[in-house]
Amino acid sequence: MKKKIVFGVLILFVCLGVYNYIYQDHRNINTEKPKFTLTSQSITYQFSNNSTEAEQKFLNESIEILGKISEINLDNIVLDNSIFCQFQKSIANTYKANELITIKGRCIGYDNLLEEIKLDQCIIINNQK
Amino acid sequence: MMAYLKIKLNHFIYAIAFISLSAFSQSKYITKTGIVGFEASVPSFEEVKATNNSVTAIINTSNGEFAALVLVKGFRFKNALMEEHFNENYAESDQYPKAIFKGQIVDFSMEKLDATNKFKINGELTFHARKVPLEAIEVKITYAATANTIELNGSFTLLASDFDIIIPKIVRKKVSNEVDVSFNFKLDKK
Repeated sequence: MKKKIVFGVLILFVCLGVYNYIYQDHRNINTEKPKFTLTSQSITYQFSNNSTEAEQKFLNESIEILGKISEINLDNIVLDNSIFCQFQKSIANTYKANELITIKGRCIGYDNLLEEIKLDQCIIINNQK
Repeated sequence: MMAYLKIKLNHFIYAIAFISLSAFSQSKYITKTGIVGFEASVPSFEEVKATNNSVTAIINTSNGEFAALVLVKGFRFKNALMEEHFNENYAESDQYPKAIFKGQIVDFSMEKLDATNKFKINGELTFHARKVPLEAIEVKITYAATANTIELNGSFTLLASDFDIIIPKIVRKKVSNEVDVSFNFKLDKK
């Protein structure tokens, strides 16, 4: 009898483990420590120097970038005309062009049509006026 | 009289240059937040479906040229593990981070948009180091005059095998080789 209970509990745990593995949570960029912290000039330089190499280096990593807002839209900000940062919720009316800002997000690659570095799942770290 | 004519001529040249310049700069419409989704689901199994809402698309309205760039890492799935497997085992997005479509809208002109919104695009899609021609993709194009935006809508079907993406035997019942792709681009004048 005892053996059966132990066996049953064991099976339960295995099932729970499998379930948690299959339905694991998404990676949370917001709480992640950034792998790279740099200025917009620095990252732009690395991409303009060798976009393939820079893409390999930054791809899928969480990055914190300090830069100046050159364009602001409903759910995205462009830093220094070269870094496109997409947010998951609306950021309209919170910031203005030319403000200095630090943004954390995940690099999804280099857009060579518009020559922009793209980040998604961005959050604003701070706003230095 | 000669001097007067010369000045007139100069003005004329400036005017021509200005008009052609502005015509050139007005002919491009761009979006950085275009939406591309795909679904490779099999009925009665968990859906295999992802959306990318950071697609760059450009249309040149003077000649109908169209390009779209999809950063593969930007595809988001409901299921995190599925997203991981898609990136690591199928799309191999570390190695091939981009999917690029370049094509031509057949018989496109801004004037035609008043009469019809049904167009066809021919082009080729480069993804996973393979280049696959796509012919006569039906696309609905609408122009909103007040906002000055052009919207493109459509869908087509791809075969994963055409892009050298092999679906392993054990999941072949759950993941379809036929992939339905849909797109929606709202382009602003640049």
